[in-house]
Amino acid sequence: MAVVDKAGPRKGGRSFTEIVNDERYRSVFYQVIVAVAVIWAANYLITNTAENLQARGMSAGFEFLTSTAGFSIAWSIIDYEPGDTYFDVYLVGIANTLIISFFAIIATTLLGFVVGVMRLSKNFIICNLASGYVEVMRNVPLLLHILFWFTLSAALPRPKNSLGLGDMFFLNNRGLYVPAPIPGEGFGVVVIMVLIGIAAAFGVTVWATRRQMATGQRFPAFWVGVGLVVGLPLLAFAALGAPLTFDYPSLKGFNFTGGADVPRAFCALLFALVLYHTVYMAEAVRAGILSVSHGQTEASYSLGLKPSWTLRLVVIPQAMRAVVPPMISNWMNVVKNSSLAVAIGYPDLVAVFMQTSLNQSGHAIEIVGMVMLFYMTVSLTISAALNYYNKLVQIKER
Amino acid sequence: MSIDTQLPDETVHVASAISDEVVIELASVNKWYGEFHVLKDINLAVNKGERIVICGPSGSGKSTMIRCINRLEEHQAGDIIVNGTEMGTNIKNIDAIRRDVGMVFQQFNLFPHLSVLENCTLAPIWVKNMPKAEAEKIAMEYLERVKIPEQAGKYPGQLSGGQQQRVAIARSLCMSPTIMLFDEPTSALDPEMISEVLDVMVGLAETGMTMLVVTHEMGFAKRVADRVIFMDQGEIVEQNTPDEFFTNPKSDRTKLFLSQILAH
Amino acid sequence: MTDATQSDTAFRPKPSLPPPANTVGVVGWMRKNLFGGPVDTVLTLLGVYLLYVILDFVVDYGIVNAIWTADSYRECLDINKGEGACWAGIGVWFNSMMYGRYPDEEQWRINFGGIVLLLWLIPFWLPKVSGKIQVGISAVLTFPFLAASLFIGGDIGIFLHAMTAIALTLFVSVWLNVATCYLMGKSLPAVLISVTGFADKDDRLHKYVLLGAFGVGFVLALLYHLSWDLVEVPTTIWGGLFLTLVISGIGISSALPSGILLALGRRSKMPVIRVFCTAFIELFRSVPLITILFMAVTMMPLFLPVEFNPPKLAMVIVAVCIFAAAYMAETVRGGLQAVNKGQYEAAQAMGLNFWKMMALIVMPQALKLMIPNIVGSFMGLMKDTTLVSIIGLYDILLMGKAAGQNPTWLGFHTEPLLFTATIFFVLCFAMSKYSQHLERTIGGGYGRR
Ligand SMILES: Nc1ncnc2c1ncn2[C@@H]1O[C@H](COP(=O)(O)OP(=O)(O)OP(=O)(O)O)[C@@H](O)[C@H]1O
Ligand SMILES: [Mg+2]
Repeated sequence: MAVVDKAGPRKGGRSFTEIVNDERYRSVFYQVIVAVAVIWAANYLITNTAENLQARGMSAGFEFLTSTAGFSIAWSIIDYEPGDTYFDVYLVGIANTLIISFFAIIATTLLGFVVGVMRLSKNFIICNLASGYVEVMRNVPLLLHILFWFTLSAALPRPKNSLGLGDMFFLNNRGLYVPAPIPGEGFGVVVIMVLIGIAAAFGVTVWATRRQMATGQRFPAFWVGVGLVVGLPLLAFAALGAPLTFDYPSLKGFNFTGGADVPRAFCALLFALVLYHTVYMAEAVRAGILSVSHGQTEASYSLGLKPSWTLRLVVIPQAMRAVVPPMISNWMNVVKNSSLAVAIGYPDLVAVFMQTSLNQSGHAIEIVGMVMLFYMTVSLTISAALNYYNKLVQIKER
Repeated sequence: MSIDTQLPDETVHVASAISDEVVIELASVNKWYGEFHVLKDINLAVNKGERIVICGPSGSGKSTMIRCINRLEEHQAGDIIVNGTEMGTNIKNIDAIRRDVGMVFQQFNLFPHLSVLENCTLAPIWVKNMPKAEAEKIAMEYLERVKIPEQAGKYPGQLSGGQQQRVAIARSLCMSPTIMLFDEPTSALDPEMISEVLDVMVGLAETGMTMLVVTHEMGFAKRVADRVIFMDQGEIVEQNTPDEFFTNPKSDRTKLFLSQILAH
Repeated sequence: MTDATQSDTAFRPKPSLPPPANTVGVVGWMRKNLFGGPVDTVLTLLGVYLLYVILDFVVDYGIVNAIWTADSYRECLDINKGEGACWAGIGVWFNSMMYGRYPDEEQWRINFGGIVLLLWLIPFWLPKVSGKIQVGISAVLTFPFLAASLFIGGDIGIFLHAMTAIALTLFVSVWLNVATCYLMGKSLPAVLISVTGFADKDDRLHKYVLLGAFGVGFVLALLYHLSWDLVEVPTTIWGGLFLTLVISGIGISSALPSGILLALGRRSKMPVIRVFCTAFIELFRSVPLITILFMAVTMMPLFLPVEFNPPKLAMVIVAVCIFAAAYMAETVRGGLQAVNKGQYEAAQAMGLNFWKMMALIVMPQALKLMIPNIVGSFMGLMKDTTLVSIIGLYDILLMGKAAGQNPTWLGFHTEPLLFTATIFFVLCFAMSKYSQHLERTIGGGYGRR
């Protein structure tokens, strides 16, 4: 260690107590102890594991991923057959976890904004309804919510007397049946038109902002944008002679055929996740809006900005800084909590991989590691995004 | 503080430019907070170009009164007419009045997420539909007037209190208001910063702006005010010229108040 | 200018008038809070309607059509056609949902343990009692052993005997302390010292007096405890709310010390320690609890020597402790950050070393600031503990599910869930209100105390 020379004014003979009391030696000493302890513990665990595996006649390694899983999965968003490998099962689990998280996050965010604003309402009834909702939801475990909705959904009618909306949507004790779109010839054009519409709307917005900055003239960019995004595809759709048909679900015997189905477990899980996490989103929104002082609104009013502009230009930009971090960690929690699917048999990652695959193959360490890796990746991605956002808004402060 | 060639003489009264036109009229204004009667039958007429200083003990309703003038508070009885527009529940009228009336707050209330320049151009761009370049030009002019053009790119959090308050004044002026309301603009400031803000306000008075200033800076009142109003317990106790007000107050209540604030 | 008839010099404030009738009172309140405008009015009406629908349903389902006595679920269904709750079933299953399969004649042990814990904590709320921190620490550190020997029973081994005896001694001293505080206005140690006549002796001797007194108490307690003869109740038949509370109680009380260490480690200047602590915290915070539970029950048997075969409950508790520690570490870190930097500097300037600074200056302040968050964490952990039902521990949730699978109560699913939800709601709601109360009193009183 080269530093030692420079350290003290005295060189040469340093007594033992001096060395023991030196801050740097202490620190190195502690660290070595911790490192040794950790390495020893790891070694202990690894030896034990090796012995245990030997005793059970098993081997560690990821070869099992390429072998056939052989079980079927109740529902999956990507194609899967029992003949596929364990790795396919892993992917199916991830896809199922992501799809339910995706819908839950979108619904949670929207509903959370509504409930958060309701809690701030001056209207006594509205405000208290929202508070009641928040209290009931957050003081009951999520697993209970999930089981509750799952149990209730079992009481839905049988397929024969499904609740129907028109002849298109059916809800029964097996799940939700919706029409499946079948794109016809030229439907690609419509999709392209949607993309063009979005791009055009974006362009119009940029152009309108530039023009306003340059000349002060306003342009109803929002409504024109909506018109473009909706209108262009509609025009193309009509011009091409409606190149989209639907496969409607219909009752054949005891069950529905055709259409697309969403299992009951999915609906119950989505419902419970949304109801539960909305609370946390709402609290974030409420705290965010409250964090903008009343003086800001008053200053904005006194400059002549209308309430709607005040909201858009002054309150929301400031509130967002307080809302975004808890909102993102709430999203993270949605992804994590979707793993409770295992309790009601929705085939998410934990259910198909950590439960079924693990029981069947016995490769506990590998499988637990892979599942944790997935959640950690999601979490690290999300917190990286969060850090980036925090940096973005922080530059503006000091 | 500016070291101008002519240091403003502390004793000479800024020339007044009062016209006959009444721009603010409060007639029998009453306001309650719940059961609490804050403003009791307030009658006040302000002429164009007039500069009024309002003082009085804490809780006497000074802030409430001037905040009624741009409808940050709602009054329950009586009429408020600003620039000929009647203040009521009509949103168009409220908008019109707010565009004409600027306000400066005790706590500055600058928008922390916008730079100084953006603070100043926000309202001109979005309320007056002004091109950005023009709004920025005007903003820079006013920032120069309050003597901080070099801070235009900074954020409010990076400025001192006095600088923030001057930005707040410039921000209001950018909307070219005809009336300016000040609610204790210097009471959140350290002593050295008070004079830099007061200088700016004196400068504003010299341009003939109609001003209603709630303040306890009696030096400012003597130099600038055309009329001093003393309020207590929700009513106007005394209105007088600054000379009369300070040397020969009519009411005992005023005397007591003056003796208390001049004692320090 | 006021009234001209008044004398110029005397100021008589105008009388306050009552506000316009429609702005105050019930009418004013309604105008302001319910019918502020057309939109508001519509919202209010919608809200009232919604409230009516909900209440109507709740009353119909829960009271009007509910069945309070029946012998089977079928019987309930026959009477109300499923349009009301079958609370009769809750009566039948209540015991199981509280205690699991813990034998009926042994359940007093659980109740007794619960009462001891409550009694142990009561001095917290008694204003005159001194040494509250010591009371808290003694409860957290030794009650688990008392509880373990009480709940498990059987042949518990000398270590558990000794720890239980310590716990009993401390428990008795806590209440003796309460008694002396109220009757004599002095704390127990002070009384002991003055009774033995050491009051005017050297301070160091006081320690020996106290240790001696503790020793005597310990021996008495040990002798008493050795005379206990409890039937062994294996953990495999523990269940119900009892199990939920055991798991979350152990989780939270172990999380506090380990969370503090992890948080200190994460803030440490030593890179090796910091990296380990950060990795541990981040790893276990980023994965769902259920994966940690699965990890515990599938990997722990692999990790331990071949001859070990830990009970499932033990593995689950380890998992919950790890999970709780990782979360508590972040709570503690927040608390440490909230302590003013000047406090650290002042402590260092006084010449305190790191551990003394933490123990005497920083931690007491940080813990005080953290109490609401700790209560919050406990609430969260209690809710999360329901996950153990997924891996087959018969907590209150799984016990309720088991009710619906019993042949006579087949299909009896909703009511146990509602009942469990109510229990959680009551517990968590009370705790969250209490923590809000603490937040207010601590926040407000912090400067003064
Ligand atoms: N939002 C409100 N709700 C209820 N009472 C209020 C409210 N705002 C002000 N008051 C009360 O109205 C009275 C007048 O307040 P106001 O702020 O106008 O006083 P002020 O003269 O400006 O005092 P200061 O010099 O302290 O600013 C005070 O008694 C105050 O307590
Ligand atoms: Mg005021």
